[in-house]
Amino acid sequence: MEIGDCYVGWATDEDIRTRGASGGLVTAMLAAALEKGLVEAVVVLKKLGEFEAVPVVTSDPEEVKAAAGSMHSVPIVLSRYLEYGTKVALPAKPCDARSTIEQAKRGQVDIDTTYIVGLNCGGTMHPAMTRKMLETVYKLDPEEIAGEEIDKGKLIFETKDGKEHAIKIDELEEEGYGRRESCQYCAVNIPTMADIACGNWGVIGDLAGKGTFVEINTEKGIAILENAIDAGAVEITPADDKGKVIRAKVDGAMMKVAAAANEKYLAPIEGSHLDYYMNALKDCIHCGACKTVCPVCACGETAKCTEFSSAADTYKMSLFHLVRFVHLMDSCIGCGQCTDVCPADIPLTHIYQRFAVPMQEEFEYKPGMDMTTPPFFGVDLIEEGH
Amino acid sequence: MAEATGTTGTEEWQPKIVMFCCNWCSYGGADSAGMGRFQMPPTVRVIRVMCSGRMDPVFILNAFLEGADGVIFSGCHIGDCHYVSGNYKATIKYKFLKAMVNELGLEDERLKLDWISASEGERYAQVVTEFTEQIKKVGPSPLKPEGVI
Repeated sequence: MEIGDCYVGWATDEDIRTRGASGGLVTAMLAAALEKGLVEAVVVLKKLGEFEAVPVVTSDPEEVKAAAGSMHSVPIVLSRYLEYGTKVALPAKPCDARSTIEQAKRGQVDIDTTYIVGLNCGGTMHPAMTRKMLETVYKLDPEEIAGEEIDKGKLIFETKDGKEHAIKIDELEEEGYGRRESCQYCAVNIPTMADIACGNWGVIGDLAGKGTFVEINTEKGIAILENAIDAGAVEITPADDKGKVIRAKVDGAMMKVAAAANEKYLAPIEGSHLDYYMNALKDCIHCGACKTVCPVCACGETAKCTEFSSAADTYKMSLFHLVRFVHLMDSCIGCGQCTDVCPADIPLTHIYQRFAVPMQEEFEYKPGMDMTTPPFFGVDLIEEGH
Repeated sequence: MAEATGTTGTEEWQPKIVMFCCNWCSYGGADSAGMGRFQMPPTVRVIRVMCSGRMDPVFILNAFLEGADGVIFSGCHIGDCHYVSGNYKATIKYKFLKAMVNELGLEDERLKLDWISASEGERYAQVVTEFTEQIKKVGPSPLKPEGVI
């Protein structure tokens, strides 16, 4: 097995294979890593309901197996849950993987002991919005939903009586429903930065729906997959070239959609920038929730943004946000969590991206894609010989 | 208030400029400018920092929010830093800050980075004069709080 190899794999266990998505490879691999002692802990998503899940850290392989099934959750700030150096495996969407790598750069997570099992992602949906969308657009009872899928540009909900209800995502998103805004303009669908990238894109023929496409990206990726094969938990077969092409095509199509959304949401501001930002931030109540959930902020509870600003300030703009604008210019990955948690409904991710994207493009630096340090820390210094 | 800031209804508006000077070069430059009796407008409030590498975005953003019409940051010439590489670090931070301030919608003219050595008293006066003229053209800062002149 070598870096860059592609396989299609599935779980050997009948139960995991049927309950898990796409053959249950990821669940089986994570459980095997725990059972064989490759890792001490695994992060799994525990379902709270049909539309909602929370990340849970567990050392019990049974709990990992119980969590089988496709479920998207928010990126977690791994460093706040685990001690530095804990051997851990986590299933991760591209934004989860990128935020974990950004934390590793800031000494919050030991990347050598963290196995990132990447999952393809075409976008996530807000639980509360999903319920509302089901009631108003689909005219369905949220409690009656048995499953959800995105296929050929349509969002399909399956009800408990076996019927499928499909509506085009474009139409939903025009009405303000559908995927989270940050997911709409996110162009990273395949987690190439993770140790191992898994997903159902590119699984064709007899295996369609029953296998997971796996791409090995690092030595750790080889270790976790070989460990699962040695344990007899998964079986793999080399992926055929046709599958690879299809996977790349799906990725390309998603990127095009993202580029269009990017133009829509991040279109240049008309009129005064200052008025736009003052107006956007005027509702801020300085609760600090956006900073608390930010996966790339490693400052801790007391930081420049919190210590030098106060809700009692009578400034025309919030110093808290001004400091954070500069701070996140090189590291914002646009995961969308700040918008999700904002009690004043300020579209923060969108605003932060406006500052971050031009700077990241100028430096040709994309945060969280590998372990190279951000340009802030001295590209120029190295060139000048300091 | 008008008396305190030296402005009356008929006089021209005088901008308020905050200038951060490094202890070893630019602050010395300000001293030389005084000793050499070089004429310059009294618009600048100097704040001494130990090194231009100490420049923190929070200083500059706070200066603007408190009512500064312009901010100059100055240190030793490249290669002359008392702490070897402080001014290189200032350059990188300045690049980020400048991009941020521009996106925010403040005029490009309101923020400036310049190198002034301890012997360059005349240059110090020149930088201050030119910057004051520049700020006079763009007018009072839109971030100035209500009631601050």
